[in-house]
Amino acid sequence: MMDKKTFIFAGLAVALVIAAMAPFIASSNPDGLESAFFGIFGAKEIQGSDLNEDAAGSAEEEVTAITSNEFSFASPFPDYSIEGLSKFGEAAAVIIGTLLVLGIALGLSRVIAARQG
Amino acid sequence: MHIPDAFIPLPQAAVYWIIALIFIALSLRWARKELSDEKIPLVAILAAGIFAIQAVNIPIPWGTSGHMMGAALAAIVLGSPFAAVFILTLVLIVQGVLFGDGGLTVMGANIINMGVIGGFFGYYSYRGFYPIFKSPYAPAFIAGWLSLFIAALACAVEMAMAGTFPLGLGLFSMGLYHAVIGIIEGGITAFAIYLIATARPDIMADSTGVPT
Repeated sequence: MMDKKTFIFAGLAVALVIAAMAPFIASSNPDGLESAFFGIFGAKEIQGSDLNEDAAGSAEEEVTAITSNEFSFASPFPDYSIEGLSKFGEAAAVIIGTLLVLGIALGLSRVIAARQG
Repeated sequence: MHIPDAFIPLPQAAVYWIIALIFIALSLRWARKELSDEKIPLVAILAAGIFAIQAVNIPIPWGTSGHMMGAALAAIVLGSPFAAVFILTLVLIVQGVLFGDGGLTVMGANIINMGVIGGFFGYYSYRGFYPIFKSPYAPAFIAGWLSLFIAALACAVEMAMAGTFPLGLGLFSMGLYHAVIGIIEGGITAFAIYLIATARPDIMADSTGVPT
């Protein structure tokens, strides 16, 4: 059996390796929900793979007209990218996110555990 | 499966947030009761690992891709569906706020689909199938597949209520893609549990509540 410290560091190493590799190995195809959306709004066939970029753009306008939800927000690293940097920037963004999630989970868990009565 | 803001009208998005907040409160209660010095690093590592693996989109047929959700894995390893709610909520907040992955007004719906539905279906299908197989791997695969597939169908129903997708075509397309993406979810869930059970058999023996 692996000792506790080794196990935690091995887990962290696995997470960071996945984070660093993610931008290089991830597919840029639309995900399941986006693909269903493009299929239903006529930008691709549901069981086909060609995406019509123009139709995809107007699909996004159409859906906003349906829901009237025009909320938009400029996130600091949109789509896991860092402005001006290439794939390595994306890798850095995913690593930053991974470490941030680790830090928040650790900090929050400790605060909650400290309040156990 | 991250719903963007434009897909749900604001009043409905608010209702999903309220439901999500109830489950988040319950997950905080779980955390206060269950988080020991032993479990805290495991929660943090699972959260970090789930964030990282969610960035890996794997291609499937029909010009589409999908990634692991991780709710079943979190719930099985930590022995509670509320563990999945706790972890997936953290992951979704960081994804939405920092990376624009998933909307902010609709984050309640994403927490319900991936954290709540993913966590509950993942955990209880694992518990249900465990006595049949008497080994963690097949139940973990089924739990992963089912958690993702049901979450995708729930998402299709939400899209129908939003007026975004017609119900039939939404269920068909979401079901079709996520039946395939579920194989990724199930496979990685079973493999991750194999790695954890090999490195630390004590974790899997204690936390699932299922005698091995």
